[in-house]
Amino acid sequence: PTISNPNHARIHFSLSLPLQKQTLCSPAGEAKSGILAPTEEYTFVEQLIPPSRVPFPPKHDGPSPFGWTPPSEVPLAFPYMICRSRMHNVPVYTYLTHGSRKTTLVHKIEGDIWEYLQQLTGKDLPTQVNEVTMTIRVKGHFDTALKEWLVKK
Amino acid sequence: MSFTKNTGGKALDLLQNLPRITLANLRPEPGTKKAEKKRGRGQHGGNRSGRGHKGERQRGNRPRLGFEGGQTPFYLAIPKYGYNEGHSRRAQYQPLTLNRLQYLIDLGRIDPTQPIDLTQLVNGRGVTIQPQKRDYGVQLVGEGAGIFAAKVNIEVQMASEEAIAAIERNGGIVTTGFYDPRSLAVLCKPVPYFLSGQPIPKRMLPGEDMVPYYTDAANRGYLADPEKIQKARIALAQKYGYILPDISKDELFHMLFMRKDPRQIFFGLSPGWVVNMAEKKILKPTDDKLLQYYNS
Repeated sequence: PTISNPNHARIHFSLSLPLQKQTLCSPAGEAKSGILAPTEEYTFVEQLIPPSRVPFPPKHDGPSPFGWTPPSEVPLAFPYMICRSRMHNVPVYTYLTHGSRKTTLVHKIEGDIWEYLQQLTGKDLPTQVNEVTMTIRVKGHFDTALKEWLVKK
Repeated sequence: MSFTKNTGGKALDLLQNLPRITLANLRPEPGTKKAEKKRGRGQHGGNRSGRGHKGERQRGNRPRLGFEGGQTPFYLAIPKYGYNEGHSRRAQYQPLTLNRLQYLIDLGRIDPTQPIDLTQLVNGRGVTIQPQKRDYGVQLVGEGAGIFAAKVNIEVQMASEEAIAAIERNGGIVTTGFYDPRSLAVLCKPVPYFLSGQPIPKRMLPGEDMVPYYTDAANRGYLADPEKIQKARIALAQKYGYILPDISKDELFHMLFMRKDPRQIFFGLSPGWVVNMAEKKILKPTDDKLLQYYNS
């Protein structure tokens, strides 16, 4: 299909605009007069300033194209709670040590989580519970299953 | 949250009820501490302590690493070749997968309704560029082309064919532009540069070796002929088997067609201007020589 596209527009700034000169005493040969530019041009500078806070993600219906699901507005009632991280992701992380030692870390746990853990895996896996930092470390990689399950909450 | 943070809840309860913890009450988990192998204490009196029988091995006089008994060793027999020669001077381009780009757009860190620049990527903490470490920018990598579904006007330094196809399939525009190291540093961290009070520099043109890359329409180079780029878009659509959407009828048409001048670093700001962030003003040069220099 033929598409007629005009030549792409270029924002070309001609510097030879008629500018209002202010009277400033500046040494000869280095004349640079300060001119009050319109504030519209400063908006371009404001776009360049990095934000200092993590932005709130926009609304999606269900999972986004990447596969990210927003946290549910009202979390289902369970005896435990696992909040999202600062970047709005599920706090499940996997580690691989010595090339073959797989661990999964679930972070930001509050409340009682023991019943669920017994249901998830048929057997009791070696775990390490760190109550002060609210983490549970489990042997083996369970990140996909855990993330899918936690996303539904 | 309806939960009070009971940090160390059950463990703390235990601590309060059990007797005082001393060294006498503590013991490591069985299986964590394995006994060290003591030399010279084995069966039959240890004897040679794991060092073998006589010779250089037992006496600790082995030759240097790599020595092969007099035969020309491997590391001398193989001829030299400059595989890594000048490796620290080679240009590096930080990869940016389409997966990551989609993730950033989905989480709101990058705004698809504005042209996506390297500054926007760095502000959204999408990529980390180190201009001082021979990084020349960002390259678009085609991983995640299947799930990519965002219409963007993106400007990178290099792009793979698959990535270009994926973006154009969704109605976006890719451009590849060259930034010399000084311009790249200004582009990545504009605020400290503006605060230093220096005028915005003009972007240099690519060196001899990169000119063919940026004048090629297949790479969507910024120095390429627009008509050839249009033909390349159609050819790529035929190669990858998708219908090229008509962008000229899009509502974001004006934004999608925003491009930078080859000598321009930022959108909307010309080289030679000084930005005063404290008073939110922009100073422009009026001297003829300066204007001539920045206009060339």
